Amino acid sequence: MSIVAGHSPVTMPTDPLLEIYLERRANLVRFFAARTGSVSRGEDLAQELYIKLASRDQSAITVENPVALIYRVATNVMLDHARGDARAVARDAAWRRLAHVSVGGEDIAVEPAADDAAASRQRLRQLVDTVAELPPQMQRAFRLHKLEGHSHADTARIMGLSVKSVEKHISAALKSLTLRLGR
Amino acid sequence: MISIWRNNDDMRGERAAAWVVRLEADGLGDAEATTFDAWLSASPENVAAFDAALAISQTFTVNAEQVAEGVSQRQRRTVRPAMDRRYFVGGAGIAAAAMVAVAVAPQIFTPTSTDTYVTAKGEKRSVSLADGSRVDMNAGTRLTVTLARNSRSLSLDEGQAVFDVTHDADRPFTIAVGDRMVRVVGTQFDVRRRDGKLSVTVARGAVEVRPQDGGIGKAYRLRPGQRLDHTEGTEQARVMAAEPAEVLAWRSGRMVYREQSLADVVADLNQQWATPIRIEDPTLAATPVSGVLILDSQDAVIRRLALLVPIRAVRSDAGLVLQRDIASDR
Repeated sequence: MSIVAGHSPVTMPTDPLLEIYLERRANLVRFFAARTGSVSRGEDLAQELYIKLASRDQSAITVENPVALIYRVATNVMLDHARGDARAVARDAAWRRLAHVSVGGEDIAVEPAADDAAASRQRLRQLVDTVAELPPQMQRAFRLHKLEGHSHADTARIMGLSVKSVEKHISAALKSLTLRLGR
Repeated sequence: MISIWRNNDDMRGERAAAWVVRLEADGLGDAEATTFDAWLSASPENVAAFDAALAISQTFTVNAEQVAEGVSQRQRRTVRPAMDRRYFVGGAGIAAAAMVAVAVAPQIFTPTSTDTYVTAKGEKRSVSLADGSRVDMNAGTRLTVTLARNSRSLSLDEGQAVFDVTHDADRPFTIAVGDRMVRVVGTQFDVRRRDGKLSVTVARGAVEVRPQDGGIGKAYRLRPGQRLDHTEGTEQARVMAAEPAEVLAWRSGRMVYREQSLADVVADLNQQWATPIRIEDPTLAATPVSGVLILDSQDAVIRRLALLVPIRAVRSDAGLVLQRDIASDR
C-alpha cells in the first residue's frame, strides 16, 4: 500500500506554510490558550492566525524556518488582540460571581468550570488545602505571582531571589498542584 | 521497570509545568516557541501533561482572590496556637476569639449553572468536576454539565469520554446521549457518540442505559466488562462482552478495535487531524476492522490501517480519500 499524491481535477497549488499550520494547529491553540488564559480565546486566535498566513504575499522568498515564522506571526496576532489576557478572564469570572446566578443559565465555558467549581465549598477547600500544603518557598512564590498577581520580576524582588529561581519555584508548585488536583 | 516509568511521568510533569509558567510570562523568543512546539509534537503524553498543568494553572488564575483569601485565613489559624502559648494567662479569652474567627469563615453556596466543555481536533482533555468526578474527553467532543443541589446532569452532545464518577447517593449522575439516558452510581465507564451511534462500556461499577422521554426500547443495566451499542432512532440495543482496558485505551493514544466498521474507525480518526479522511465506497466503509492503532501522525496511522484493511489513500484538494487497494485483494 502506498499513499499516493493524487492529481486533483482542479489544480490548486498547495501552500506549504498552511500545511504546516494545519499540522501544528493543536499546538498553536495550546500556545495561545496558555498566553491568553482562555482556551476559547486560543481557538479564536488560531483562526486569526490562519487568515493572516493565508492572505500573506506568497511571492516572497521561501521561508527557511517555517515553524519559527508561524510562531512569530502568532505572537503578532496576539499583540493585535491584546484584550485577551488572563486578567480579563479573571475579572470576567469575578463579575459573574457577583452578578450571578440565573438558574439553568447557560455559560459556554471552554476552560475548566473554574468559577463554578470554586463556588462549591468543597472544591475551594481543595484548592486552598493543596496550596497551603506546598513547601514554604514554592508556596510563597506561587501566592505572590499566581494568587496576588505580582509579575515574576516583582515576586523576585519581594522574595530577594533571581527571576530564574522564582520561575523554578512557581513551576515546581504548579507541578505539585497538578499532580494532586489533576487526578 | 515501574520505577523508571514513574520517573518519566515525573519529568514530563515537571516539563509541562515549566512550559505553562514560561508561556504565561511575557517575552517568549522564537527559538523557545519552536522548542515548545517540538515538545508538544513529540508525544501525546506531553500534550496530556501540558493540558493538565494548563487547566490547573487557569483554575487558580480565575479563582485567585478566593484561594488567596482562603490560604491567608489558613495561615492566621495556624499562627494562633503559638500566640495562645504566649498569652497563656488569658487562655479562655483567646480561645473564644479563635472560635469566632473560625465561625466567620465565608459561606459559599452552590448555585445551579451549566457549563459546556469542548475539545478541538487532536485535543484530549481531563476535567475535574466540582463533585470530585473526573471526565477524560477525547478529541472532537462536546459535553454539557449541570451540577445542582440534588442532581448531576450531563449531556454528551458529540464525541467520546471516560467518566470516573464519585459516589453520591443524594445526587444521581445522569448523562443524556442522543435518545438514551445513562444513569450512574459511582463508577468508571466510556461513552462514545458519533454519527448517531452510541456505545457505552463499563470498567467499574454499574451503569443503566435507558430510553429518554420520547425514546423507544428497553432499559439495560451494564456490569464491568459489558458494552452496549445502539443506533439512535431505533429500538434495539446490542449488549456484548468487552475488554474495558481496550475501549478506554484512547486516553493513552491507542485506539483498539474489534470488528468495528471502517466508517467508525475513520469517524474517530477524523477527530485527530485537520485533513479530513473520506470513504467513497459504502461496502468498503462497512468492512470490519480489528487491531490497534497508535495515534502518532496521520500518515503513519493510515499506513498501519492499510495493514488491517486493503486500502490505499489518495490525496485530493478536499483531504484524503480511502479506496479499495485492488493490488492486495486476493
